[in-house]
Amino acid sequence: MSIMLKITDLHAKVAGKEILKGLNLELEAGEIHAIMGPNGAGKSTLGYVLAGREGYEVTRGEILFNGKNLLEMEPEARACEGVFLAFQYPVEIPGVNNTYFLRTALNAQRKYRGEEILDSVGFLRLVREKLEVLHIGDELLHRAVNEGFSGGEKKRNEIFQMAVLEPTLAILDETDSGLDIDALKTVAEGVNRLRSKDRGMIVVTHYQRLLDYIVPDKVHVLADGRLVATGGAELALKLEEQGYAWLEDGGIASLNVASAVQTANP
Amino acid sequence: MSELSVQLANALPNNSGVRPAWLKVIRDKGAEQFRLQGLPTRKDEAWKYTGLSVLDQAGLQLASASALPSSGSSAPSPLAESRLQLNLLDGQFAAQIGEVPAGLTVLPLADAVERGVNGLQAMLESLSDKHPKATTGHGFSALNSATLESGVLIHVAAGMDAGRINLIWSTVQNEKPLLFNSRICLMLEKGAKLELLEQFESPDDNANTSNIIMQAELAQAAGLLHIRFQHESENAALVTRTEVSQQEDSDYTHYGFDLGGGLVRHDLHTSLLGSGAKSVINGAYLLDGNRHVDNHTRVDHMAPGGYSNQYYRGVAGGSGRAVFNTAVYVHPGADGTEARQSNANILLSARAEIDTKPEFEIYADEVIASHGATVGQLDEQAVFYMRSRGLSEQAARQLLTTAFCQSVSDKLADKSLAETISQRMMDVMPQAE
Repeated sequence: MSIMLKITDLHAKVAGKEILKGLNLELEAGEIHAIMGPNGAGKSTLGYVLAGREGYEVTRGEILFNGKNLLEMEPEARACEGVFLAFQYPVEIPGVNNTYFLRTALNAQRKYRGEEILDSVGFLRLVREKLEVLHIGDELLHRAVNEGFSGGEKKRNEIFQMAVLEPTLAILDETDSGLDIDALKTVAEGVNRLRSKDRGMIVVTHYQRLLDYIVPDKVHVLADGRLVATGGAELALKLEEQGYAWLEDGGIASLNVASAVQTANP
Repeated sequence: MSELSVQLANALPNNSGVRPAWLKVIRDKGAEQFRLQGLPTRKDEAWKYTGLSVLDQAGLQLASASALPSSGSSAPSPLAESRLQLNLLDGQFAAQIGEVPAGLTVLPLADAVERGVNGLQAMLESLSDKHPKATTGHGFSALNSATLESGVLIHVAAGMDAGRINLIWSTVQNEKPLLFNSRICLMLEKGAKLELLEQFESPDDNANTSNIIMQAELAQAAGLLHIRFQHESENAALVTRTEVSQQEDSDYTHYGFDLGGGLVRHDLHTSLLGSGAKSVINGAYLLDGNRHVDNHTRVDHMAPGGYSNQYYRGVAGGSGRAVFNTAVYVHPGADGTEARQSNANILLSARAEIDTKPEFEIYADEVIASHGATVGQLDEQAVFYMRSRGLSEQAARQLLTTAFCQSVSDKLADKSLAETISQRMMDVMPQAE
């Protein structure tokens, strides 16, 4: 197994405030890791730091992605290298057609990788294929990017973009938030179809519910800027049952999950 | 009065030989008014944001309307095909390409005056009476009337669909920059339809000023689609005024695309005189360098059940400056009017400036009115979102600004023309700094 993503001692500040305080994570190709944790623990910050958002300042540590220093790359270079962030709040872009946007993005990535540019016919063929696999109708194609989309449509559109761009590493930032159960199933099914031995995924979620449908290889607990516990899928169930109160009173041992190990003092 | 105004006043033509007598009266009145007020200054409320110092410095001279148009200049190629193309060179009717079908009349203005075309005298006389206290009635109009001679009359017979006419404007750069005056008169009889595609383009070295007035009268149920595309040189000035009178159930649809010009001012005024008349006014302006584009629109709802909708989008980079002023007056009795305005702008540099001012005055009942005016920057969240999908920062910004302006051209029913204009806008899209 090869390490796809290696995050070492990551510290990051947002608006002068330290949010990530020494985060370590290793993800192998083919794995899905879930990151859970209370509000304000730094879950979304991790996603934005990986994607390269301005204003998220890394003060210490490093991130190696397939052996390359991710932090030195512009956001577009990271995307072209295969990093994809499914946004918690996908941005509305009035006037920019969804299909045109996605084709421009895909071709920018293909150009970066020295691959042939797809013409609109070739692109539409690819899009039809993906839509069919994901069971998504084509009505989203003709609209402006996320403009006027419902919460569920926005999240489905993120998964659809992911399916077309075929990233090596996908980070799903609370993709389940605000979804009803049917939308949640659609999104989860989309993610499961993209599971492959060459692809790594980080599923950031506040609730365990999504993990009923996307079964992770590992579950991490993020609290106060660090991963404090790591375990198997059953860790998520325990967290659902008992909440995050144990973070304050006594650590992982009180959770009584056999496979879980404490990775840092909370 | 500025030195330029004095100089222009002194250069006004002698009207002693002008015939018919009514034309002489119009010209005399215009001259008198111009000698009194000269060109507008920043003290005039409607010109507060648009100074004319560039014209003062240019050493502009009044072109003589009786001089033959210069030759050797090539008109720009039209944006779209048409059965009939009219070339106006130095403000004068220069060439007609294509067929004039029965029911359509196209005449150089001087010929139309000489033939005494029915209604022309009243139309030309009416200009000075139109809402003097509003955006109109300024010195440029007086100057235009004082030199009234050049231009074109287009008449569409009742019930006829004349299709598209391309109206291509160009001027020739002489030793000294010149000021050209011209007048377009459009008469659409009952149920008549016309699409007028106006195009203003000039090469980079062109430093002329064009002062053009279009008067349009739309009889009952007449429809005029008026598309105005200007990509003048950044040294040229374009001052235009469009006056539209609309009878019952008539339909005026306007598209203005400002891609060029050093100093651009357009006053657009529609009067909804008959019930159920409709004015749809759209525009996009793109500025960079030191260009200045000022759009003043005014809609007078004077009869019940009228509809107006104004939609303008602007992008300014460099040290560009845009002015957008729109006024809607719903007069007593114009009950059940629906009037909408929307103007949104994007500033791409700290030196660029956009002044937008919506005005509404409503004196009627059951009126639906809405307006929105915004000036903002590009949405940085959207830029990051696009970059996170692989677009370069420049590509992301370009796509956002183009989409913003395309929302105007996308409204055109002719998708091929919309695509052409969209591409032209993309070519001149100012860059973010």
